[in-house]
Amino acid sequence: MRGLIGAISALAIMAGSTASAETLKLVEVITSPERTKVLQAQVDAFEAANPGTEVEIVSLPWGQAFEKFATMVAGGDIPDVVEMPDRWAGIYKDKLVDLNDRIAEWEHGATLTQKTLDMGRQTDGKSARMIPYGFYLRALFYNKKLLEEAGVSAPPRTMEDFMAASKAVSELDGKYGYCLRGGPGGLNGWIMMAATMNGNNTFFDEDGKSTLNQPGSVEGIQFLIDMYQNGYAPKDSVSWGFNEIVAGFYSGTCAFLDQDPDALIAVSERMDAEDFAVIPMPVGPAGKAFPTIGFAGWSMFDTSADKDLSWKLIAHLSSPEANKEWAKRVGVIPIHEGAEQDPHFRTEQFAGWFETLNGEEYVPTVMPTYLEQFGYFADSIALETSQEALLGQISAQEVADQWAAFLTDEYARWKAAQ
Amino acid sequence: MTAIDSVAPGKSRARPSFYFRYMVEPYLYIAPALILIALVMLVPLVIGISYAFQAVNLLRPFQTGWVGFENFQALWSDRKFWLALSNTFWWTIGSIFFQFFLGLGLALLLNTQFYGKRLVQALVFLPWAVPTFLSALTWAWLFNPTIGPLPHWLAALGILSEPFNILGDPNLAMWGPVTANVWFGIPFFAITLLAALQSIPGELYEAAEIDGATAWQTFTKITLPFLAPMIAITVMLRTIWIANFADLIFVMTGGGPANSTQILSTYIFTTAFRKLDFGYASAIAVALLGLLLLYAVILLVLRRKLVKI
Repeated sequence: MRGLIGAISALAIMAGSTASAETLKLVEVITSPERTKVLQAQVDAFEAANPGTEVEIVSLPWGQAFEKFATMVAGGDIPDVVEMPDRWAGIYKDKLVDLNDRIAEWEHGATLTQKTLDMGRQTDGKSARMIPYGFYLRALFYNKKLLEEAGVSAPPRTMEDFMAASKAVSELDGKYGYCLRGGPGGLNGWIMMAATMNGNNTFFDEDGKSTLNQPGSVEGIQFLIDMYQNGYAPKDSVSWGFNEIVAGFYSGTCAFLDQDPDALIAVSERMDAEDFAVIPMPVGPAGKAFPTIGFAGWSMFDTSADKDLSWKLIAHLSSPEANKEWAKRVGVIPIHEGAEQDPHFRTEQFAGWFETLNGEEYVPTVMPTYLEQFGYFADSIALETSQEALLGQISAQEVADQWAAFLTDEYARWKAAQ
Repeated sequence: MTAIDSVAPGKSRARPSFYFRYMVEPYLYIAPALILIALVMLVPLVIGISYAFQAVNLLRPFQTGWVGFENFQALWSDRKFWLALSNTFWWTIGSIFFQFFLGLGLALLLNTQFYGKRLVQALVFLPWAVPTFLSALTWAWLFNPTIGPLPHWLAALGILSEPFNILGDPNLAMWGPVTANVWFGIPFFAITLLAALQSIPGELYEAAEIDGATAWQTFTKITLPFLAPMIAITVMLRTIWIANFADLIFVMTGGGPANSTQILSTYIFTTAFRKLDFGYASAIAVALLGLLLLYAVILLVLRRKLVKI
C-alpha cells in the first residue's frame, strides 16, 4: 500500500512542476472560493516582495482534505507550508518544525496574544508546531424579531433562560427555538453543553478518566436531547451540518444558533444587521459557560528544502495587517493584540465573541485534538451515537459512557507515548 | 547435434516442435494480455485480501503485521457490520426492484411508435449523463423542506403528516438515496432491455396475433422468454454494482442519521479513511466480496436452469 501510494505520488510530483529551490508548496485544507482568493492575493504580495520565489498553492476541499492530505504525506509528497487544523496537529506533530525560536526573533512575535501562543503549542505544551491564523469561538446568534414575536423580552443569559426562550419560540407556527447541529461537526455543541452543565471543562480527571460521563456532563447531553425531543429544534436537524443550521437561522426557521464568526459572513449577507445580534453562550448552574474554541494555523514540515523561505512565508501570512485582512474575510478572531479596536470588529454582531474572550465567566474549551483518534471520534463515533441519542435509541448516560470509554483509552495511549 | 541432423529424410522438420507449437506457443501470444490482467486485477486483489489478515493502521505505522483471523473475529461481533449488512440488503433490493420494473416498462414503451419518441428517448437517458455527485446533491436539496418541493408534495398527498425531511428520519432515510438511485439507474435497464426487445423477430408476434393470443400471453410467452437471458445478466450486474455503490448515500446522508443508511461500502470507506484502519476495512470488503460472489454463482446457476437456449 505504502509502495503504491509512493509510486503514485512520485508520478504526481514528476507530472507537476519540477521542484527548484525557490518553489514553495503550500497546501490549504479548509477551502472555499473566497478563502482561496484572499490567500492567493496575500501569496502574490509575498512573491512580489521576494523576487524569484514561486508559491504553488494546492487547495484541498475540506470534505476530503483529511484523507487526501494523509495520502499525500504518506506518499512522500510533503508540502513546505501547510494550513494545519488543530485536530490534525497531534498526528503530524513529529514532522512539523518547532517555530519557538523563529517567533522569538520575529518583529511581530511580541504582539501575538497569549492565547495564540498557547494554542500553537497545544500538542505538547512546549513546541510551537504552528502559528494559529485565527480562532473559531462559539457564541450565540439570536433572531430579535422571533424573540419579540414569542414575547421573550431579553436574550438568554443562563441555560434555563435558553430552554425557556426556545420553548416560547417553538410555540409559534412553523418556528423553532434552536438550530441544533445533529449532523457533521455537531460534537462541539455536545461538549460545550456537557461542560457548561458540569461546571468544568477539563476532559480528564487526575486518574486520566474522561469527565464526559460525570452526572453534570450527562445532564448537559440530556439538555440537547430534550431540546430535540420536545420539538424545540426542527425534526430534521438531527442530520443538520454547518450549511443547514446557518440556513435555518437566516431563513428565520429557528431563533438561536451557536456558531463561530465564519457563520457571520453568510448570515449578514441575508439578514439586516438590526434583526440579529450575537451574545456569549448561556452560563450553566456554576455560573460559567465553556464555549469551544477551535483554530487552524500555518505549519512548516521538517522536510522543507528552504526552511528560512518557508518561515518567511508563514511570517508574511501571520503579520498583523495580513492577519486582520484574513480574519475579516474568512471569519475568525484575529491573533494580534489590539485587533479588536478595528471598527470592523466593534459591532453588535461581533460583540459576543470579544465579550466571551474578555468575560470572567466564559472559559474557552479546547478540544483534546492531540489525541490521535480524535478526528475519528468527532466525525464518526460521536456523530453516530449522538444521533442515536437524539432519536431516542439510546440514553444520554449510554452515549456519555461510550464516549468516556473511548476517550479514556485514547488518553491513556497518548500519555504512554509522552 | 542439431535438430536438422535428427530429422530423417522425408519427415517434417516441424515435428519435434509439435509440443511447442500447440501447447506453448498460443500461451505466448496471449501472455501480454494475461500478464496485464494479472498486474491490474489479480495483484491488487491478492494484496487487498491479504490486508484483511493484517493490522494496517495509518495512525500506528509501527504496529503492523499478520494477525490471522483477528479482523474477522472483530467483524463477527461488530454490531455496526450487521446493521450495515442489513441496510445493504434493503438498499440493493429496493433500488434494483424499482430500477428493473420501471426500466422494463420504459423499454416496452420505447419499443412502440408514438409522436415525440425521439425526444422522450433522449430525455430518458439524461440521468445517465449527470455525475452522481451532482444528482446526489440535487436530490438531497429536493428532499429539504426549506428549499425543495418534495416534502410539501408528499404532505399534500397525505404520505407525510407534515412536510419534513425524510433524510433526517431514521425509518425513512433510506428512501432518499433509493429514490435518487432509481432515477439514476432506470436508463441502464431501459437501454439494455430495449436492445434485447428489438432483437426479437417480428414474425413471432405476427404468428401470435394470427393465433389469437392476448397481449398478456404474447408478453409472457414471447417477450419474456426472449428477454430472460438479458434480464438475468443485467440484474446480476446491477445488483453487484448497487451493493458497491456508495456515492449517492455518502453525499445525501453520510450514512446517517444514526447509521440508518450506513451500507457496507460506506462503512468500508469510513473505516479506511476516517479511522485509517485499512486492515479492518479490507476484512469488511472481503466479506462483501464473498457475499457478492455467492450471489453471482446462485444467479448464474438459476440462469442456466431457466434459460433453455
